[in-house]
Amino acid sequence: MGLEPMDDLERELRQGLLRLPAPPGLKRKIMARKRALDAEKTHRRVVFWQRLAASIVLCGAVGGGVTWHNVQEQRKGEAARQQVMMALRIAGRALDQVNAQLAARDSRQ
Amino acid sequence: MKRSIVAVLLAGAALAVPALAQTSGLPLPSAVEKQLEARASNVTEVTLDKNMLGFASKFLDKKDSDQANAKQLINGLDGIYVRDYEFDKEGQYSPEDIENLRKQFAGGEWVPLVHTREKKTGESTDVMAKMVNGESRGMFILSAEPKELTIVLILGPIKMDQLGQLGGIGGLGALGDVTKTVKKADKGATKGGGE
Repeated sequence: MGLEPMDDLERELRQGLLRLPAPPGLKRKIMARKRALDAEKTHRRVVFWQRLAASIVLCGAVGGGVTWHNVQEQRKGEAARQQVMMALRIAGRALDQVNAQLAARDSRQ
Repeated sequence: MKRSIVAVLLAGAALAVPALAQTSGLPLPSAVEKQLEARASNVTEVTLDKNMLGFASKFLDKKDSDQANAKQLINGLDGIYVRDYEFDKEGQYSPEDIENLRKQFAGGEWVPLVHTREKKTGESTDVMAKMVNGESRGMFILSAEPKELTIVLILGPIKMDQLGQLGGIGGLGALGDVTKTVKKADKGATKGGGE
C-alpha cells in the first residue's frame, strides 16, 4: 500500500522518458524553417547593402550636383563681372571722347 | 476647355513679356540698332539688369581698387546697357541714324548735358542725364566716330563723385572732368561744341 504513490510516479516518469519517434516531417520542417531564416537573413543583408549603395550614389549625385551648380554659378558670375568691367570701360572711353572734344573746343575758343 | 486654358496661358505670356521688359527698365534694341548691327564688323553688346548687376557685384574683388569702385558704382543701379559698333569703313551710319538714337531719350526726364558735333571729322557726342526730383537717375552717352558708334545707357542713381573714383577703368573718372568742363562752358558760351 505504501508503495503505490511511488509506482504512480515511476509510471509517469517512464511514460515521460519514453523514447518516442519524431513526428513525420519534423526534420523537413526544421530544415525548411532554417532555410527560411537563412534566406531572410540574406535578404536583409542584401537590402542593407543596397540601401547603403543607394545612399552613397544619392550623396554622390547630390554632392556632384551642388558642385556643378557652384561651378556654373562661379562661371556665370565671372562672365557677369567681366561684362560689368567691359561696360564701364566702354562708358569710360565714350566719356573720354566727350572730354577730349570739349577740351578741343575749349582750346579753340 | 483645352482651348480656353491655352488661350489663358497665351494671354498671360503676352502680358508677362512686356511686363518683364519693363521691370528691367532697359530698352530693347531699336530698329536702328539692328541695322547698325548688320553693318558693323564688330559688335559689343552688354545688357545687365538689376538682378544681373547684383549677381555680378558678388564676384567683384574688393581688394582690387577698380573692382571695388565698380562695385560701389553699380550698387543700386537698375541696369547697364552698352552697344559698341565698329565699322570697317566710314559712312556706315547716317546722321539720321544718330538722330533716331538720340530721339529715344529726347524730352521727358532726360536732360541734355553735352551735345557736340565736329563737322570736319564727323564725330559727335551726346551725354544726357535722367533727372528725377533733382537727382540723377540715369545717364545716356552716345559717341559717334566715323568708324565707331558707342551707346551707353546707365539706369539708376548715379553718383558723380563715385564715377570720379573710377579713373582707372578706361578713364571713367573723366565724367567728373566732363561735368566740370560743361559747367565752365556754360559760363562762357552756349553748349553745342563744334556745331
